[in-house]
Amino acid sequence: MKLLLAEDEPDVQLIARLALKRGGFQVVTASNGVEVLERVGAEQPDAILLDWMMPDMDGFETCKRLKADPATQAIPVIFLTAKVQESEVAKALALGAVGCIGKPFDALTLGDQIRALLGK
Amino acid sequence: MVIATFAQVGVIVWLQGQRNTIAAATDRANQRFAQQLRMNQVVVELENAQRSYFLTGDDRFKAEFEQKWNEYSTVPTAIEQFIDIPDDVTSLKSVDEQIQRWHQLTQDLIARRDKLDNLTRVLEEQTIPPMRAVRSTLDGRQRHETDLRNRMIERSQEIDFSSAILTLALPAVDILMLLVLVTVLARILLDPLGTIAESARKISDGNFDVKLPLAKRDEIGALVKAFRDMSNAVQRRQRDLTEALTREREISQMYASLRANAERESARLQATIATVPAALVIVEAPSGRVVMQNAAADTLIGREPDDEAERRDYWEDFHATYRDGRHCPFEEWGTQRALRGEVVVGHEMIVRPPDGRTVPILVSAAPLRNDTGEIVGAVSAFQDITNLYEVDRLKSEFVSIVSHELRTPLTSIKGSLQLLLEDLPLADPDHKVLMDVALANVDRLVRIINDILDISKIEAGKLELNPRPLDVRELIDHSIQSVQQIAKGSSVILTPVISDMVPKVMADPDRTVQAIVNLLSNALKYAPARSEVTLAATSEPKGLVRIAVTDHGRGIAADKLGLLFHKFQQIDGADTRRFRGTGLGLAITKALVEMQGGSVSVTSELGKGSTFAITVPVARQG
Repeated sequence: MKLLLAEDEPDVQLIARLALKRGGFQVVTASNGVEVLERVGAEQPDAILLDWMMPDMDGFETCKRLKADPATQAIPVIFLTAKVQESEVAKALALGAVGCIGKPFDALTLGDQIRALLGK
Repeated sequence: MVIATFAQVGVIVWLQGQRNTIAAATDRANQRFAQQLRMNQVVVELENAQRSYFLTGDDRFKAEFEQKWNEYSTVPTAIEQFIDIPDDVTSLKSVDEQIQRWHQLTQDLIARRDKLDNLTRVLEEQTIPPMRAVRSTLDGRQRHETDLRNRMIERSQEIDFSSAILTLALPAVDILMLLVLVTVLARILLDPLGTIAESARKISDGNFDVKLPLAKRDEIGALVKAFRDMSNAVQRRQRDLTEALTREREISQMYASLRANAERESARLQATIATVPAALVIVEAPSGRVVMQNAAADTLIGREPDDEAERRDYWEDFHATYRDGRHCPFEEWGTQRALRGEVVVGHEMIVRPPDGRTVPILVSAAPLRNDTGEIVGAVSAFQDITNLYEVDRLKSEFVSIVSHELRTPLTSIKGSLQLLLEDLPLADPDHKVLMDVALANVDRLVRIINDILDISKIEAGKLELNPRPLDVRELIDHSIQSVQQIAKGSSVILTPVISDMVPKVMADPDRTVQAIVNLLSNALKYAPARSEVTLAATSEPKGLVRIAVTDHGRGIAADKLGLLFHKFQQIDGADTRRFRGTGLGLAITKALVEMQGGSVSVTSELGKGSTFAITVPVARQG
């Protein structure tokens, strides 16, 4: 499965990418929402892992756009959040995301968690 | 006095009688005198006429003589009627006879006149001597009458004089007698009356040392007795009044000093109220109308209008809300609750006063009661806590930001370590251990950050819960799963015990699991190797489900039990490397559980073990 990973922190991006690779995913990365929107068309990922806090366009806004766009609507979106606010989860779900994974995540089970959320 | 009066009357009457008698007698005497005089005069004129006739022979004298004789005839009778003494009558008659004889003689002579030659000698011899005797008698009579008359007059005068004297004397005697009488009466009547009057005067001056006259059995006596009674009554009344006055004065003084105190206190209170930085408002029951507010209150909430309808609107326009945005109705305001008898402490509200600001305020209020305990008003104090909210907000923001900032590098560290641990061969067991240590500490850091964030949210009131109906078995399974690794590490057996009839509960899944996991973690710290930790779920009365975690560790001293759920309390001596707590775990658990409508409890026996339990409300069907 192809995952589009959007994470602005380089280290975290690295860790996530490695973890996802271990979990059997093919990963393409973006550093912010703008990039996501730019690349989603070309990459056609099976799912998008969105960091909540990003510069220029945050996860929330990105998701909104994705869901507003018929071309990208169907792509499942999972959020990566530091889960500081409970409302984040609710908001995310309200936007149509399939779930949230909290940071710090368990690198060893990240893949499994995503699969579980995707219903696979 | 009466006798004297009668006597006097008698005297006067007698005197008057005397006067009358004498007046009558005098009158008769006067008459006799006058008549006698007339008689004498007439006789003289008779004689003169006779002589003149005889001397002249003039008939005129004869006529005169006869006229005079006629005149004379009436006289003796005239006299006689006024004569009282019989002898006098006799003598009168005698002289009258003589005069009659003389007349007769004269008549004879007149008749024989012509025949007589010596008329004069005859006259002289025959008529003159009788006439002389008559005249002498008449003179004598005249003198007598004169005497009598004078005597009568004298006597009259005497009587008059006596009368006059009596007229003066009698009243004088009367007056004298009256004086005596009055004096006597005065002595009898006035003396006691005077004494009574004198006593009355003394008494009215306040001098009750009076001597009253002896009360005899008469009217005066009755008066004296009555007076004495009255005097005693007055004296008693006086004493009562004096006492009452003294009491009154004392009360007055006390009142004055109390009043002064009260005024001082009031002034002090006013000064305090005016200057205290908090806004103070005093309202009256039951209307809630403001009766006093200080300057700080004026600034904060302004002044309510007087009109009743406008007043209500004024407060409605404040749009009071709670921090979470819920409307706070007027009845729930601190002041209103205080008017109902509640003591309100720390009631938070956000209000919008007329000047358009939005102000969070902290309200404390209490009822004001009178002596009988009735609520007569309420006092409420409140403060603008915008600063506090700001501080809170900054703190929350700070915590959020920091949490977020901290989690990011931790994510990297944890991920790195985990992936390394998986992939590196790490032949040296120490190396593996070191990796484990690093990982464990990363997890610990994460836990600390989580706890801090949680407690910060709880305290700011920003922790959101999303309760849903949950299956208790699932909750328990989840919880056990979370700590399974740790249990394995200590060879502790986790045993769920769920009775059949345990209903679904209404709770936030993540947070409830968090609470249970917290209890489990604690239990695992103390559970000896290979011991059992049970996780029991039971149905409780009042719509609750009890989830209890029981360990067989060393237990907790009774005096420490109360502090356990407070912040930063570490259970002593827990030193499992992997599992140092922040001291916030139980406090967070308590808060989470209570926010959901449940409670926490702990029982423990030193040396035997402990049971920590939470209750969760049952999900209502339908």
